[in-house]
Amino acid sequence: MAYYVNRNTTMTWWERSYIPEIIKGMWLTSRRFFYNLFGFIPFFLGTEKDRRIMTVYYPEEQVQYPIAYRGRPVLAQNEDGQPACVACGLCEIACPAYCIHIEPAHNTGKQNQYERWPGVFNIDYAICIFCGNCEEACPEEAIFMSDDCDISMLDRKKMLYTKEQLLTPVADLQKRIEFTRNMYAKWNY
Amino acid sequence: MWVDLIIALVKILFIFAITVGFFAPVLTWVERKQSALMQDRIGANRADIMGFTVLGLFHIIADALKMFTKEDFIPDGANKILHTMSPIIALVPALITFAVIPFGGQYTLFDKEVNLVISDLDVGLLFVFAIASLATYGYVIAGWSSNNNWSLLGSMRTASQMISYEVSMGLTIIGILMVYGSMKLTEIGAIQENFWMWGIFLQPFGFIMFLTASIAENKRIPFDAPEAESELVAGYFTEYSGLKFGMFFMAEFIEMVTIGAIMTILFLGAWHIPFLTSATLLSWFDFLGTTGANIVLMLIHVGVFFGKVVFFIWLQMIIRWTLPRFRYDQIMKLGWKIILPLSLANIMITGLVILALK
Repeated sequence: MAYYVNRNTTMTWWERSYIPEIIKGMWLTSRRFFYNLFGFIPFFLGTEKDRRIMTVYYPEEQVQYPIAYRGRPVLAQNEDGQPACVACGLCEIACPAYCIHIEPAHNTGKQNQYERWPGVFNIDYAICIFCGNCEEACPEEAIFMSDDCDISMLDRKKMLYTKEQLLTPVADLQKRIEFTRNMYAKWNY
Repeated sequence: MWVDLIIALVKILFIFAITVGFFAPVLTWVERKQSALMQDRIGANRADIMGFTVLGLFHIIADALKMFTKEDFIPDGANKILHTMSPIIALVPALITFAVIPFGGQYTLFDKEVNLVISDLDVGLLFVFAIASLATYGYVIAGWSSNNNWSLLGSMRTASQMISYEVSMGLTIIGILMVYGSMKLTEIGAIQENFWMWGIFLQPFGFIMFLTASIAENKRIPFDAPEAESELVAGYFTEYSGLKFGMFFMAEFIEMVTIGAIMTILFLGAWHIPFLTSATLLSWFDFLGTTGANIVLMLIHVGVFFGKVVFFIWLQMIIRWTLPRFRYDQIMKLGWKIILPLSLANIMITGLVILALK
């Protein structure tokens, strides 16, 4: 037996006759079809840079992600070539997935050496959930979410990034640093 | 006599080349690309040879290779003979219908009358429907023989749906028969040389009802209850793999071409261009001699015919990617309660108008 659901919709006679509404729907879809089809022509001729279709061929073409995008977290490397990190361990605590591992190292008496710095700083991207809590917890502006999300690999062990792999010059992160300053300043930490 | 045989062979080869060799594989690509463009996507483009993708056309080759190399699986408890036979029963009628479908008119080539139809039957239209309904057996046997609940449900739905819509389909074309007074498809095509004699003007409601019924016959969305993915896994071909599945797939696409061809002949002026009679075209190309002009005319007519077929295929694709699936009871209601009475009314009105005009 057919079961009828009362959807509280009252259709006019015109709508119930079905054919005009079908033609309306087909008009919409076929309009999209021809619009997109002819959008390819200037693209292939080279007169226009973009197709009208929004989809991109991902690995070949990439789009600029918005600045709020959370890619893989990286360590900021200041002008001296050292991480800005002071190995306080706050990100390690803030991390809900426990993917950060820090072993602090201290000043060994050498000249120009920092007072306190991370000897080991590992992030396991296989565990990381890209929540951005580490960035929020960091008091020294040392760890930031980059816009790089292309970190899939065949070997899980290779996803454990060490300090040398994580270091990114601070100049590359300038936009994100400004963004986080604006963002977290609102919340008055 | 030998010449006739060679001409017939050439025509058969041409039909095979254009359906199995061109339309069936290319339509798989068209279906993907057209749906993609309608939904603002790009569509299949990953299969490449040496870095060239050619708009994803290599997916046809990839599909064919996959189907040929896949394991041909027959489930436990299935009836092996029927399980193997049913895809063939489903595919062959779709191809046979092309035997009576004319794809051009009559031409005088080298003092010989060439009729561009493989077999010019007097009951061509009846033959098409008689053969096309045979395909139902293929689908029903496929579901029954594969020992699977979903397949059986799918084939039951197929049987009921196809039988219901065959009734309204048959009644719909009676209007056409009354108007043209002939069942010979070549004659129906020849009458439509006059633009205002096209079936779409004489039988506008017949056109819509016939299109609906024929899409239902082909079991495509919005009438795809027999193979509803979300309800019945894949319907009657759940247990099929490899080339047998490919044959069901091919049957569907060839039926689309068949529907397009029949719609073209009955409603859209067959191979004729509006307001351009064959005699006018022949006089234009008179400088090429009789045979040359006829060859040019033949090429134009065949091109126009397949252009119209392509338009109908495009229309079916648009319908398929626009509408959602009907519920099963809605399909039955549409078939028996709406299209059947409307087609009967259509016959009556057509008869009255013909009587009044006499």
